[in-house]
Amino acid sequence: MRSLRRRAWVSGGLVSLIAVTTGVLLLYSFLESEALQRFDLSLRERHTQAVVALSRFADDPARVDEVLLDPEYDRPASGRYWQVVGPDGEIYASASLLEATLPLSNEAAPDLAIHDAQGADGEPYRMAHQVITLEDGTRWEVAVAMALAGLELDRAEARRSLAVAFSLMVLVGLAGMVAQTAIMLRPIRRLRQDVAHRWEKGEVLDSSDYPEEVAPLVDDINYLLQRNLEIVRRSRQQAADLAHALKTPSAILRNEIMLLPDREQVAGRALDALDRLDAQLARSLARIRTSNTAEASNIRTDVTATVQRFSRMFSKLAANADKALTVEATPGLSLRADPQDFEEVLGNILDNALKWSRTRIVVTARNHARGIEILVQDDGPGIPEEERSAALVSGKRLDASVPGAGLGLAITAELLKAYGGKIELQRSEDLGGLAVLVIWPTAPTQLAG
Amino acid sequence: MRILLCEDEPVLCDQIKRLLAAEGRVVDVANDGQEACFLGLTEPYDMIILDLGLPILDGTSVLKEWRAKNIAVPVLILTARDAWSDRVDGLDAGADDYMTKPFHLPELAARVRATLRRQAGRTSPFFEKGGVLLDTRNARVTLNGVPVDLTALEIAVLSYLFHNSGRLISRTELSEHIYSHDSDRDSNTIAVFINRLRKKLGHDLIQTMRGRGYMILTD
Repeated sequence: MRSLRRRAWVSGGLVSLIAVTTGVLLLYSFLESEALQRFDLSLRERHTQAVVALSRFADDPARVDEVLLDPEYDRPASGRYWQVVGPDGEIYASASLLEATLPLSNEAAPDLAIHDAQGADGEPYRMAHQVITLEDGTRWEVAVAMALAGLELDRAEARRSLAVAFSLMVLVGLAGMVAQTAIMLRPIRRLRQDVAHRWEKGEVLDSSDYPEEVAPLVDDINYLLQRNLEIVRRSRQQAADLAHALKTPSAILRNEIMLLPDREQVAGRALDALDRLDAQLARSLARIRTSNTAEASNIRTDVTATVQRFSRMFSKLAANADKALTVEATPGLSLRADPQDFEEVLGNILDNALKWSRTRIVVTARNHARGIEILVQDDGPGIPEEERSAALVSGKRLDASVPGAGLGLAITAELLKAYGGKIELQRSEDLGGLAVLVIWPTAPTQLAG
Repeated sequence: MRILLCEDEPVLCDQIKRLLAAEGRVVDVANDGQEACFLGLTEPYDMIILDLGLPILDGTSVLKEWRAKNIAVPVLILTARDAWSDRVDGLDAGADDYMTKPFHLPELAARVRATLRRQAGRTSPFFEKGGVLLDTRNARVTLNGVPVDLTALEIAVLSYLFHNSGRLISRTELSEHIYSHDSDRDSNTIAVFINRLRKKLGHDLIQTMRGRGYMILTD
């Protein structure tokens, strides 16, 4: 069974069932015997009354009923009877017996015997019966009987009370078990939420916030998260170092070719090869990045601050080229992503806009139903509709006359895809050039499906 | 025009130096951050090319130091890292432009020209005065459409005067901007270069303010 809650419920339910069943059985048998004892006690008392009455009226046993005053003795077939058999075999009995007699056995011992019996009409009753010898030496048989129906009524009443009491107990017990399970599982549920939202609270979960049984698990989770992040950082750093190590010699080779006096003859193929090398390097680097976005996405990136910082930088560059960049960012935007990945996306798009715009670039960042929307528009030539999808594919440069490896938008598209976001190239309605629309989900899985 | 190139990779350094020299620039080289910082603070450069990944003292710190000491020379930063943060930090620290490695040399040359032109308040790569035309893209000079053969130092003098048209330039200032810091500077040779330029390009182009310096008048 994989659910802790179900496990707690089933085990709690089984324990309760066993406890309640045992309790019911014990209490029931106790009440049964208690009822019988009470019944027998009452039978004994009635028998004693009959013996006392007989001893008083031994000379005229017919008057015994003057002393036995229970009206039930007079009501026919009432279920309460007495009977006295004299030494000469004459029978005196309560009116309730009508013509019937109680089945007495003549071998009855002088001690009081209580046993079950059955009336002529099949009515079950319990009878107390004793042979007594009076002071004058005469032997009398005295018997009283009570119908078992009364005892059954008592027992049914007891069973009913018992059932009500135990049903209540079971209900209270079940409610308690559900509540207890919820209380016990609350730290685990909280841990799940905390792990999901750890980027809002900083990267480390505070194990002192959890019960001592859960705290070691929290420490382990912290360790694993940190380690994971460390591995991702290290692999990214290694990739960046490798890129650095390869880019400088590549630049040197390229420059050496450019500086050759007769470069027209040899440069073409060599520069093509270097272009391919650089593009492959950039693509591999981008791929290393995109393969690790899930681990990197537990970091909170301040979108508004980054957009403003980048806009400030690009405004300066735009001003150098007599262009103007304006920015409008909703305050307080943030998302889950490695800040470097977000900077890569934003930087590539702004770089592209700066390269192609004539005089104006407009950047807007705001909330979107599925995350955060960033729109970069320029008044450059734009990209014809049929060429837009090619612009987002690695290594396809639309215009080789402008410097650059033609990878910026492609890397951006791949990174966004890894985060479950998307990029769309459109015609800018406001400025007439290219509009690059980026939708980045606030949580990485939001757009993935 | 005198440029400080701060780059620790010797081959790349040599290539950039050759490229800029071919355009008539005088280039000083610093191979680490400390040297770069010192030269930037003490020598009057027209532009600085600064690699952010310098040894001893990183480029961003060097740039901050210059700006803190009111060195307002335009700075172009070079970075090999893909991290945009470095570039943003560099521009925040006071750089004017950036290039990422690997870059194309012609693009670097174009950026340098654009930066120097911006400094001179111009948008065209050509300087023209009285039939003399200087193309800053290749350091070629023509007189009434006919190419004129000038030495590197003659081009450096002409280029500096053109870039500072309308301003009186002393011999000392001129020598500071046409000689690299490790060469013997002799401001007396300036008069020799001016005379040669006058012979090759005509006497009206460069005005002499006796005892004070030289000037190309603006139109």
